[in-house]
Amino acid sequence: MSERIDTNAIRAVMWKDLTAIRRSKAIVLPMLLVPLLLFVFLPAAVGFAARAVTDVNIDGFLGRLPGDVAAPIRQLPEREQLVVLVNGYLLAPLFLIVPLMVSVVLAADAFAGEKERKTIEGLLHLPISDRDLFLAKLLGAFVPAVIVSWAGFVCFAIVTNTIAWPVMHRLFIPTRLWGVMILWVAPAVAALGLGVMVRVSARARTSQEANQLGGAVILPLIFIALGQATGLLLVALPVALSVGAVLWILAIILVRGGITRFSRDRIALRV
Amino acid sequence: MGRTSETTIVADGLSRSFGTHRALVDLSFDAQPGEVLAVLGPNGAGKTTTVRLLNGVLAPDGGSSRVLGIDPAVDGNAVRRRTGVLTENAGLDDRLTAWENLVVTGRIRGMNKTDAGDKANAMLQRFGMVDRADQRVQGFSTGQRKRVALGRALLHDPDILFLDEPTSGLDPEATRDVIDLIGTLAAEHGRTVVLCTHFLGEAGRLAHRMAVLDRGHLLAFGAPADLAGEIWKGLDVALDLGAAADEGLVEMLAGSRGVLAARPTASGAHITVNDRSIIPLVVASLTSREVPVYGAVPMPPTLEDVYFAVVNESAANEKAVSA
Repeated sequence: MSERIDTNAIRAVMWKDLTAIRRSKAIVLPMLLVPLLLFVFLPAAVGFAARAVTDVNIDGFLGRLPGDVAAPIRQLPEREQLVVLVNGYLLAPLFLIVPLMVSVVLAADAFAGEKERKTIEGLLHLPISDRDLFLAKLLGAFVPAVIVSWAGFVCFAIVTNTIAWPVMHRLFIPTRLWGVMILWVAPAVAALGLGVMVRVSARARTSQEANQLGGAVILPLIFIALGQATGLLLVALPVALSVGAVLWILAIILVRGGITRFSRDRIALRV
Repeated sequence: MGRTSETTIVADGLSRSFGTHRALVDLSFDAQPGEVLAVLGPNGAGKTTTVRLLNGVLAPDGGSSRVLGIDPAVDGNAVRRRTGVLTENAGLDDRLTAWENLVVTGRIRGMNKTDAGDKANAMLQRFGMVDRADQRVQGFSTGQRKRVALGRALLHDPDILFLDEPTSGLDPEATRDVIDLIGTLAAEHGRTVVLCTHFLGEAGRLAHRMAVLDRGHLLAFGAPADLAGEIWKGLDVALDLGAAADEGLVEMLAGSRGVLAARPTASGAHITVNDRSIIPLVVASLTSREVPVYGAVPMPPTLEDVYFAVVNESAANEKAVSA
């Protein structure tokens, strides 16, 4: 018999985790610094460079891109080409690092961190089902990963459009591909990372061990995701949507498998 | 609040192994409402495993149990809704305040925000931690953590309270405080308290019955006095006669009706009698012989005496078998 999902208990565990995360500098700092670098400093530098230089030639670079990608950029005025190429296309794959990084860091802490701090046993003795506990830990990492990613993107759009305004004279971010990336692909990447890491975290005894174990899986995932993302943004919208769908399916399979295999008995064995 | 008058815990042949290690072997005992049951044994005896099995955290691989009429292996959540647990490491989240630690537990237990907040305040007040309610647990002493954790375990007024090494890591003053608190908990509303400890002194002050575990095996179960009766014959009595009894007096005492043995001590004599009722007869006999009696103190075996007798007997049996 399947027990009803206890949203009250799930929300309580998520609230506990999110409050604890907010107060942990060791977790918050990297979660803020990487997006700050990727979404504020880097696009700002490109924007200022585009404003400063009068004679920029990116023909050589455009020549190495597929024709249907390079063509619309070539049609732009020369000064706009650098901004659009870097901020509109090349930075997009890097964007996937953020949801992946945040979800992996938080998921590693989900169970292994509780074991390390010796708080897991108290949690196991509370009336929350195994499934709900797993979901709470999953969502406790997923929600911040998506929020940080989306907030980072808003900052990116504001910084890019503001600094590039004297060159572009129009809002050029977000594009439709960026929209798909943010709303569809990024959450899928976060979910995929979580599907792996929450299970790893349940097996590991410390966050460090979880990160080390997960690294063997997560690092290759990052490269695959980046490779796919490069293709996504440089090819076409339907491809972007399809790759996002594949990532979601993989994530759902992993999470469902995780729920089935997760039990407090197994966790208690490693306390 | 009324509680069940039926047996609250029944363990029937509970067993659990971790790989090749048999953590608990064929454990059977019961606990009644309002009772403090001491589960005693050294580290690794199986005390924590027992609590985990009874609260549905671990599943047994042999035997069964009923806790408040529910099988924890089948519906662990139903059991956990009515039990409270104080784990050996208080298990509080250092990054949350004392109040937040309690409130989040209340919320997981299904209370709304207001109820959880009110209960948290009441518990912190009760355990003398209200002044530190809004401080993060990080800087708390072990004793303060135990107090907050005890409040967390009692937040929902549980029918059964599992206390796993409640005084470990505490200084003597904090230990006394916690023991005093535990003493009142069982008396409240017929709550059952299962006290797992290897500190025999605290168990002796609190327990109605004791279960002695060693390497997963139950060596003895019952009231300390009953177990003592099975181990030793008679009741020891210390007689204060103002000076050591001479040989003649010891012989007279040993020959008295109902006295099983007698020996001199620095302040008088030590006798073993059949029954308490023999004591006034011995005192009367001494005074009739104009021997001054300053005191006659029955010395029933303590829980500690019983524990060591049980453990030593088990070790001796093991040695005999292996020889």
